[in-house]
Amino acid sequence: MPKLLLAALGVALLAVLSLFVGATDLSPAALFSSGPESEAMRVMLASRIPRTAAVLLSGMAMGVSGMIMQMLVRNRFVEPGTAGTVESASLGILVVTLLAPGIDLFVKMLVAALFALSGTALFLAILRRIPLRSVLMVPLVGLMLSGIFESVTTFFAYRYDLLQSLNAWIVGDFSGVLRGRYELLWFALALTGAAYLAADRFTVAGMGRDFTTGLGLNYRRVVSFGLIIVSMVTAAVVVTVGTIPFLGLIVPNLVSMTVGDNVRRAVPWVAVVGAGFVLVCDLIGRTVRYPYEIPVGTVVGVVGSALFLYLLLRKDSSLG
Amino acid sequence: MARFRKPSPRQVLLLLALACLAVIAAFMTVGAKGSWGFILSFRGAKIAVMVVVAYSIAVSTVLFQTVTNNRILTPAIMGFDSLYVLIQSGMVFLLGSSGIVSVDPRLRFAAEIAVMVAFSVLLYGSLFAGGRRSLHLLILAGIVFGIFFHSLSTFLQRLIDPAEFAFLQDRFFASFNLVRPDLLVTAVVIVAVVTLVAWRIMHSFDVLALGRDRAINLGVDHRRMVTIILMLVAILVSVSTALVGPITFFGLLVANLAYLVMPSGKHRHILPAAILLAIICLVGGQMILERVFGFDGNLRIVIEFLGGITFIALLLRGTAR
Amino acid sequence: MSHFLKRRALPGLPRLFSAAVLALAFAQATPALGQEKMEVRHAQGTTSVPHNPQRVVVFDLASLDTLDALGIEVDGVPGGVLPDDLSEYAADGIPKVGTVFEPDYEAVNALEPDLIIVGGRSAAKYQDLSRIAPTIDLTIDTADYLADVAKNVELLGGIFDKEKEAESRLAALRQSVEGLRAATSKIGNGLLVLTTGTKMSAYGPGSRFGILHGTFGVTPAIKDLQVSQHGQSISSEFILQTNPDWLFVIDRDAAIGRGGAAKTVLDNELVTQAKAWKEDQVVYLDPVNWYLVGGGLRSVQNMVDQLAQAFKKG
Repeated sequence: MPKLLLAALGVALLAVLSLFVGATDLSPAALFSSGPESEAMRVMLASRIPRTAAVLLSGMAMGVSGMIMQMLVRNRFVEPGTAGTVESASLGILVVTLLAPGIDLFVKMLVAALFALSGTALFLAILRRIPLRSVLMVPLVGLMLSGIFESVTTFFAYRYDLLQSLNAWIVGDFSGVLRGRYELLWFALALTGAAYLAADRFTVAGMGRDFTTGLGLNYRRVVSFGLIIVSMVTAAVVVTVGTIPFLGLIVPNLVSMTVGDNVRRAVPWVAVVGAGFVLVCDLIGRTVRYPYEIPVGTVVGVVGSALFLYLLLRKDSSLG
Repeated sequence: MARFRKPSPRQVLLLLALACLAVIAAFMTVGAKGSWGFILSFRGAKIAVMVVVAYSIAVSTVLFQTVTNNRILTPAIMGFDSLYVLIQSGMVFLLGSSGIVSVDPRLRFAAEIAVMVAFSVLLYGSLFAGGRRSLHLLILAGIVFGIFFHSLSTFLQRLIDPAEFAFLQDRFFASFNLVRPDLLVTAVVIVAVVTLVAWRIMHSFDVLALGRDRAINLGVDHRRMVTIILMLVAILVSVSTALVGPITFFGLLVANLAYLVMPSGKHRHILPAAILLAIICLVGGQMILERVFGFDGNLRIVIEFLGGITFIALLLRGTAR
Repeated sequence: MSHFLKRRALPGLPRLFSAAVLALAFAQATPALGQEKMEVRHAQGTTSVPHNPQRVVVFDLASLDTLDALGIEVDGVPGGVLPDDLSEYAADGIPKVGTVFEPDYEAVNALEPDLIIVGGRSAAKYQDLSRIAPTIDLTIDTADYLADVAKNVELLGGIFDKEKEAESRLAALRQSVEGLRAATSKIGNGLLVLTTGTKMSAYGPGSRFGILHGTFGVTPAIKDLQVSQHGQSISSEFILQTNPDWLFVIDRDAAIGRGGAAKTVLDNELVTQAKAWKEDQVVYLDPVNWYLVGGGLRSVQNMVDQLAQAFKKG
């Protein structure tokens, strides 16, 4: 536990630092010497605090939902991005952009969330009907389904010359986060909290259907609950800031290398590591080309995958 | 697949071959306008490209799955397509789209193949060297490699302006509409050489499919064979990717379709079945794209949509057994 | 048939193969005898083009815009979404030759064109199309925008015997640009932003929208020119910090006919504090002219007119 506290403290410090990094000049001194109506305070409230909160929230939520997914389907390389969730959310965004481009951002988010949920539900329904002869079938079906969703989206995006807009929507990027435009993420945090409360059940479900039923739990209900949480969280994050590639894959794997597979023990770690990781990447994205930005999705992809590959190939024996 | 009347591998192959010919005949003739001379030669060239690509993707995927002893890992899933996009983005970023156009296409082709092969030998070499690595690890590493290249190229794409993005978008999308006869001939030669080498070691494919330990017990120099096959796979994948761009799930689709329709697991049955299925899918897909959508779409999209649905439908039907 | 001769220079097998394919194609594309030829220099080389060609296929929307403005008939255009000004070409009567990205070579060949025009997004297909008929690439170099536009207009005017018309339209364009420059010298500085979804990027001099600063004379709001050829990803804070006198907005999503999103993105508590917003000096540039058909005779004139209108009010 002290280690966990230390890690949380480190992330908190980074978060404070993050409040003072951005395109406008804003020093702590200027903030405290001026009144509540000043421009410095406005920037802090409207931009910096929301952005930092959005970063922390999405880091935690995506990490934990990736972990839940991996527990439930019992393999380490499943995450929302390989279950059709992300792709169906993009399809939703495309539909809204085509039909009602000027619509309120929040409505856009809700429509995309709805699509994401349906997409993940379809994934579940297919899984239920296919005899899972091997665990590898799960990501295979997920990839195929994602491919189908993506091809529909791409077909229309290509046809209407919307591909680049869609990319801008989908690539994770916190530069658009402002007060009033990220609040859906708090909902994601609430769901993550619910997941923590149900953590033991996921651990049990991870042991297998027979084991779960033997303990008197409804296996199917536990699995559905987990997947609903995952898809809602993913939808919220995707529509608010875009995708943060394989965060749900890398963070839980890193944590389980060190902490083990007990969900209740691992969830706080995954949350802290996820939040810290995304925060560091966003700070990099904000500073490398200051005052311009590099989307966090790109930074996570490059930094995260390089780091992950290193860990993976260095101590591969502990995995799988 | 009717359960009660099990066809022999030969019958299945014959049926596939007939279907293949029918699709090709339809492709050559449907919706012709203008002079037949132009149409036959023009479409003939397209068919040639599609056959080379179908052949490369089908053979490379099946061999790759034999070597890695699984039916999910494909070169595309291991990050090849992303690397291709990265190479293209990098070139547009460095040279600009006009710079790209001015480079000799054959030189570009050679450079692309060289980079792709270098990458694959490095990656597969390190991953498969010990032979003890778990499948989970391989898939994980493959996905991460894919994301790594994808992120890098997204980064470059964010930096280039929309007109060049449009240019790039055009190159990412597999297209058989672009007939490049000079490149095609180069590709045919390379594929022929690969086929010759593969032919000479054909006998060991079935043994390799039994798994590493049993293959070694049966007297196969496992490590050497795996290395050779991986090189062949790398070259084949490079050829098809450099020729028409990435088609992510195509290999996975045709290989698994071949396993599903073919009652025999032997390579001399599976390989031709996969090749024929690949040709049917590509030519059929292109025909739908041209005649139904009037080119206002893209082959990769059509294939991944129809292919994905077919694949899942087959899996669902599998429950009846 | 200089093209045919050039193709024969290919070495080895490819030559045989492509010669077989192309010999038939060229048999179709031979122009009527006795037609005058002229050498045309363009972005990808020099092409021998028949004077006053009878059948023309156009893939470049900017050239289509110019031809339409000069009253020249066109026999084949790309399918898909066309901007309002050119929507008459979407009619069924005019043959569609694939899309900007993916020409339908058979349809092009069936039209037996004397001239094919590509540019911008279709420039990549130059090689393939020039196997069917003489092809010219009229891509515009953003470094010297107006000069390049003028060159293309004169070139098309020359090919189609519309020199006078072209000259008078160009003179009008040059004059209105002069008028605009006089206005922009007095209005302070400006920043150009492209919105895509909820994301924004800034463009400066030398970028693809650099015409705003270079040709139209708006003083850039950012002094250190990090904003160069490619757009830069920015946040709302950046606009507040830069605080330009005028904010020019191109809505990427509206370029394909879906407007309105840009205003929603900008209407937030940071941007509304910026000077340009407070003084109502935000100009939503017509994305069709700026983005889709940029570089056509009429679209550039429209760009100038829209800006002149905006400054008149201020």
